[in-house]
Amino acid sequence: MNIAKLEKSFDRQRSEFPKIYWLWGIAFPLLLTLIDWPFRDMLTPSNILLVYLLGVFIVAIRLGLWPSILASLTSAAAFAYFFAPPIFSFAIADQENLVGLAVMLVVGVVTSNLAEDVRHQARIAEHRERRVSALYRLSKELTEACSEKDIIDIGVRHLHIEFGARAILLFPDGNGTLHYPGDAPLEIVDLTMAQHVFDQGQIEYDSTGPALYLPLNDSTGIMGVLALESVNAQRILIPEQRELLGAFINQISHALKRARLAEQANDATVKMQAETLRNSLLSSISHDLRTPLATIVGAAGSLETDDERLSKDSRRKLVGAISQEAQRMSDLTVKILEMARLEAGEVILNRQWYAAEEIIGSALHRLDKTLKNRQVNVQMADNLKLIHVDAVLLQQVMVNLLDNADKYSPAELPIDISVATTPFSLSITVADRGPGIPENFQQQIFDKFFRIHAESTQSGVGLGLSICRAIVEAHGGDLQASNRNGGGTLFQLHLPILECPPTIAPEEKDRCDGND
Amino acid sequence: METIKPLLLLIEDDPQFRLLLSTTLESRDYRVLTAASGRDGLDAARHRQPSLLILDLGLPDIDGQQVIRHLRSCSELPIIVLSARDRESDITQALDNGADDYLTKPFSTAELMSRIKALLRRVAKLPGGGAQESFQVDELKIELTRRRVFVGEREVHLTPIEFRLLSVLVRNAGFVVTHRQLLKKVWGASYVEHSHYLRIYMGQLRHKIEADPARPRYLLTEAGVGYRLNTGEN
Repeated sequence: MNIAKLEKSFDRQRSEFPKIYWLWGIAFPLLLTLIDWPFRDMLTPSNILLVYLLGVFIVAIRLGLWPSILASLTSAAAFAYFFAPPIFSFAIADQENLVGLAVMLVVGVVTSNLAEDVRHQARIAEHRERRVSALYRLSKELTEACSEKDIIDIGVRHLHIEFGARAILLFPDGNGTLHYPGDAPLEIVDLTMAQHVFDQGQIEYDSTGPALYLPLNDSTGIMGVLALESVNAQRILIPEQRELLGAFINQISHALKRARLAEQANDATVKMQAETLRNSLLSSISHDLRTPLATIVGAAGSLETDDERLSKDSRRKLVGAISQEAQRMSDLTVKILEMARLEAGEVILNRQWYAAEEIIGSALHRLDKTLKNRQVNVQMADNLKLIHVDAVLLQQVMVNLLDNADKYSPAELPIDISVATTPFSLSITVADRGPGIPENFQQQIFDKFFRIHAESTQSGVGLGLSICRAIVEAHGGDLQASNRNGGGTLFQLHLPILECPPTIAPEEKDRCDGND
Repeated sequence: METIKPLLLLIEDDPQFRLLLSTTLESRDYRVLTAASGRDGLDAARHRQPSLLILDLGLPDIDGQQVIRHLRSCSELPIIVLSARDRESDITQALDNGADDYLTKPFSTAELMSRIKALLRRVAKLPGGGAQESFQVDELKIELTRRRVFVGEREVHLTPIEFRLLSVLVRNAGFVVTHRQLLKKVWGASYVEHSHYLRIYMGQLRHKIEADPARPRYLLTEAGVGYRLNTGEN
């Protein structure tokens, strides 16, 4: 529907006033007539005319122009009939009284116009103040909002308070097509019309809705569409309210723009950090992969070209180097891939009920060769319950921690593993008697590619512990490093126990041998 | 006829790795038939009657799992599966589909040789040997028919379920048995999702048999896949 036509009809409605005002225009002079009647002998007609004048004056101030004219006419009639000689007749004998009546009529018109003007000014001032304070409240809340969602929520709430209308903000996707926000009530918006408003930038009114569609502008263009369901269209469509609505939309658009810019800036920072990380990853990987690769390529090359000139012993040494370095590369590749998978969020935990004992056992078995000459003490609390974990990943954690302990502590000193439980968590500690970790590094050792002695001869990229922490955190647990009493490093792993392990039916008592 | 070298079929799409394996295997007195794709491999398996199949799971044409299912529908050909390390679910699926053993890349050739040997030996035993009577490795001795278990001189008393669990592993000694297979064989098909039964009984069994249950010598865990009874060979 045409907006201008609609507005005009509301304007007309507004200038009308209640029918009771007309009634007062008649009733008030009649009331004065009743009051005056007992005193008709004491007062001269011109005094009585003054009382009527007062009445018209009051009606003019309180009720406006037309009731005051009506009151003037009623007063004139009542005066002529009851007070001006000859009484009980509308005829007026005295010229003076006629002049008085004319003056009364003029006073009524002038006064009511003046009063109307004052009232109008006051009303405007009051409206303006209300609008300013509404706008102020909105902008105050908007400045405190930090996310786009907060801004939308605040905007919608204030629109509702001020205009008594539910509002929805619609934003385009990458292709410029508007979409519903997930939680909005569906029935009030016509998406085709909203899309039209978004494309054209024109305000539209949907008479069947009824809903009003307004474009959200910012300096660069239309960022979305505001759909306003108006229960009371009048509250929205009168010009002052339209102005206020415009101001609201401006505020909301600017707040949104600001939030988006902030987000972009934040994205840029994150991207920069990722970039730095990628660079450190690349330099680390390229160093740690190139070194063994150089050995392999070199050794294989001499075997290929100088085969006859090499002694049996040197051939064996070269082959040994190839095999050893290839193994090192393999371990590294596995770690890098694992970290990449964990980082990419690609890992879905395959949680099953497992015994901690079994996980530690399989980790120790995997490190059989590494730990061949190492004393490893395992201390298990009695009656450990099953834990709901991804056994493959948790085994990886244990392998990395044990491998770490083996690398950084003298071979003749033992590694101690202990497992304890509380009703709500399971803790596993792996402790060695190595040099320990300086306190300022106890957090950093879990950072990717961090090594306390960067150029140490120990192989590894500094990913093992980061992988451990990522896995433990994926399980909702935490992993901490500290120095052990009496020297050495202590890794403590806590896993929350979130649900009780399932129970199993007890086995029937018929034993296979009958005497256990 | 012991003089005839066993024929191995190798299905592997990477030419370098195929070359490496076939050269190594030929140097160890095996005849090797190679195929670069699943379809060629299935053809070769049908027409050439190999004694054992080494199958890479990642093939260009058809899925390795499908190759296993195809073969299992009509033959008992022993299968060793090769897979990347981080794909436990693939391995478990391959074993549940009927593969006999697996190796994760990269692996040493020595390991591959010992797996091949063990598998060929198991196949050779099956037709004539009938039901296995007893099993022994290190201190552990199990008499299957008399249902008795010894660790050294000491007799160990097992519950019926513990014994059933152990005997399934004994019958597959040296080979991994998946969680699913164990649950099905010991408790029945409706229990295949109840892995906690297996954990609890395996724990009990270890406490009775192993000197140090946290560092088992006999009942080995293959994390995410299943259990293997150690035969002391690999």
